[in-house]
Amino acid sequence: MNIDLYGMLLQAFAILLGTSIVVPIVASKRKLAGWLNTIAVAIAAGILLYVAYVAIFVQSGAETKAIYFGAQPVYFLIDAFSGFFIAIISFMAVMSALYSIDYMEHYKDYSLRPYYINFPLFILGMIGIVTVDDLSIGFTVAWQLMTIASYFLIRFEYKEKQNVRNANKYLILMELAWVFIIVGAYLIDGSSMGDSVHTLTQKLGATGGMIPVLVYALLLLGFSFKAGVFPFGQLWLPDAHSIAPSPVSALLSGVMIKTGIYGIVRTFFWMIPHEGHTVNPLVWGSIIATFGVVTLFIGTSQSLKQSDAKRLLAYSSIGQIGYIVLAIGAGLYMYHSSNIFVQMLSFVAIIGILYHVLNHAIFKGLLFLTAGSILYETGTKDLNKLGGLITFMPLSALIAGIASLSIAGVPPFSGFASKWTIISATLLGGSQVYFLALFGIIALFTSALTLACYVKFFGMSFASTGVQWNVAHTPQEVSWKMLVPKVILAVLCIVQGIVPFIYYETIMNIFKSSTGSIVQASFNELSAHNSVFTSAMGVTINVPGMQYANAIAVPLVVIIIVIIGFTVAYIVKKSAGSEEKVMPTWLCGYQDLNNNNRYKDRHMFAALKSMLWWTGGNVK
Amino acid sequence: MDILLIVLNIVVFLGLAPLYEGIIRKLTAKVQSRQGPPIYQPYLDLLKLLGKDNLVSDNWAFKLAPMIAFAAVTAVVTIVPIGFKANYLTQYADVITIVYLLTLAGISILLGALSSKNAYAMIGASREMITMIMVEPILAMTFILGAVRMKSLAIDASMFSILSTGYSWSVVLMLVVYLMALQAFVARQPFDISEAEVEILEGPFIEYSGPNYALFKYSMMLKQMFYAVLFVTVFMPFLHTGIFVADLIVQLVAVAFVFVLIALLGSTNPRLRIDQAVKYYAVLIVISLCTIALSVYGF
Repeated sequence: MNIDLYGMLLQAFAILLGTSIVVPIVASKRKLAGWLNTIAVAIAAGILLYVAYVAIFVQSGAETKAIYFGAQPVYFLIDAFSGFFIAIISFMAVMSALYSIDYMEHYKDYSLRPYYINFPLFILGMIGIVTVDDLSIGFTVAWQLMTIASYFLIRFEYKEKQNVRNANKYLILMELAWVFIIVGAYLIDGSSMGDSVHTLTQKLGATGGMIPVLVYALLLLGFSFKAGVFPFGQLWLPDAHSIAPSPVSALLSGVMIKTGIYGIVRTFFWMIPHEGHTVNPLVWGSIIATFGVVTLFIGTSQSLKQSDAKRLLAYSSIGQIGYIVLAIGAGLYMYHSSNIFVQMLSFVAIIGILYHVLNHAIFKGLLFLTAGSILYETGTKDLNKLGGLITFMPLSALIAGIASLSIAGVPPFSGFASKWTIISATLLGGSQVYFLALFGIIALFTSALTLACYVKFFGMSFASTGVQWNVAHTPQEVSWKMLVPKVILAVLCIVQGIVPFIYYETIMNIFKSSTGSIVQASFNELSAHNSVFTSAMGVTINVPGMQYANAIAVPLVVIIIVIIGFTVAYIVKKSAGSEEKVMPTWLCGYQDLNNNNRYKDRHMFAALKSMLWWTGGNVK
Repeated sequence: MDILLIVLNIVVFLGLAPLYEGIIRKLTAKVQSRQGPPIYQPYLDLLKLLGKDNLVSDNWAFKLAPMIAFAAVTAVVTIVPIGFKANYLTQYADVITIVYLLTLAGISILLGALSSKNAYAMIGASREMITMIMVEPILAMTFILGAVRMKSLAIDASMFSILSTGYSWSVVLMLVVYLMALQAFVARQPFDISEAEVEILEGPFIEYSGPNYALFKYSMMLKQMFYAVLFVTVFMPFLHTGIFVADLIVQLVAVAFVFVLIALLGSTNPRLRIDQAVKYYAVLIVISLCTIALSVYGF
């Protein structure tokens, strides 16, 4: 029962540190370095996944623990909540490392030494952020490690001037975010270096006046920078994510920005003093929810306008972060509502936070790996030059299709389950509080916009036609080392959508066993189980005393109906025995015009784009 | 009994959708002083298409798309209650699921269009997507209006909300919005912008033929019948008698009247440009947002 999680954590840290020292020595043997990096990262991730498993399912009520580095104690905390993030980070790290082996061949003119120095350090930094339990020493070390390592990964293609500029901007803004957080913690009365968050919270309770408001504002600001919340995300995220090597982009978008979410949730659900000054959660909840809804709408409509595949994905990351932030804000607001009905629904929103964090990590990681495959095979990520890859890379196309449907929230894929969670909570809460209904409707509307983005992404790269006119050699399906991580992630996209009850149970368990949060007691007293029912088929939300169930998602049954419909369609199609013939496309006699005859990205959704010009991010 | 109701749902929708389409075609012809095809012509069209050669593009997405469209729409019409009676499957989905399933049907049209490699299909797909984005919120808000009143996103709760709580100002406003969006829901003039036969040659469907095209046609007919049934169920609760068979028959007659309306509106209006339509939809969206607000505050 007493497993030394902290010892294992340090082991994993040591392995990652060792990797970053040893692997670069053999960096000139590119494949060997890639394999060594993958194996070492996989070992560390194995340990970390075990740590996460124990933290979530076995040990509950973890306490913060001081680990001495020399004479200096640094507080660490591995509870179920950190465990969740550790699991996501280490899992995605392995996928990305495996993908890197072949992908990095793409950069023939660059030495891989900086890549393999910084890759493990980047992972180490992210794991650090979600395990350290202070806002001074340990936090600084982890934040800087994560930031500087990712800086070097982003500027990997340093021979392009623009890339270096973008990377520098990223570095400066992340340091600014760090300053905000550090200053926020410093402002707390009597805070000293190395205080654990628990101690800081107590001291915050004793701090009077307007200082606590400022502290929360600064922490929110700092973590919002990291998470990419509007308007801060727009400053760095698209530039940085689109120039990094694709496996790194997958990590940046999939997991790194989630450390910002981790920080916001920890701040507003854990750093709440029990006595003394208390925050007004209704105000903070509505502020955060507003940031969330603005972020999701603006981010997604900017994404719609991009014609660079990776920029499109990066903007869409901002949009998806918006959903998560909306869930945080709505959850916080609803939890403190005086209306019992709304309060019961807050659990749903809170579950939605982690569910969407998980789903977004998987499908956005997958989408960046897909964009990477396109870039690797064709050498371009400009949607105006792509098209028709489905013929050359059928499996990658299928995977891209699954990822696109997932992020667009089509049942039964994973995005549906988590977006359903967030939207149904806000809509139902909206029956009492109008702004929540409005936010829910905007979120629903935006998921149609998301769909448009990915119709464009998929349509202009894999479907339609044109890559053969723009690329010198014929693209081929990528190697198995690049396919394996993509297939694993694609399968997860489906699994996470079809069996939401497993994830609901796990996430409820996480909140139940993580001590110190304001919602732990309620999750423990089974109030959550009074309103959320999970069964082998799906999830039902039912606040006691209501005539109808409040919301139902049973993807399994829906998918069975769709599959039956599909079978019927197939039978109908074959019923009259008509012959299938492959025919060239009919282009009114203009089939030789090739590129001149194609529908450019500029025209795609032109009417909508011109109506949404005010959201910014316009591409000429 | 459970199974029977589900089967009834499927039979009613699959069986009658082409007939309602026939009403539109006959009436449109009459308005234009033509004789018009017999009212059962759409059945014949479907049968004929099934026997034609199936000309396809060389990728899996093109072949898959019509089947997905048909499957998604069939799933929706199986779940949706008719005759003011929820069937066994209704409890397994809620309005968000329905909205997303209809989206799935929409995307499969786009998938087919994009993988057909035709420039006209791309234009059609782009317009279809814009229409989907702008019209879907209005459909969603029709459901949400009921959901907010009943505090439940269950399909039956939302669709029968006026039946149980009566009319109010917000309902009347929503009814008006729904009627104004009706032609867009069923992709008829003045909002048949994505197909626009004389302009972009049926847009998304340009490369489709034979059984694949039949499946698309059929799912379009099912979809427009769904929107008519939705209107009758949500906004005409006074048709409720309590006897299931009577309810069913009265509803189906009412649906026929909705189709008469669709045909008359469609045959007397010119097609709008997409940018004009987008502005029109935007106004409708804003009005329906106000409707929800009214409803939350008890009007």
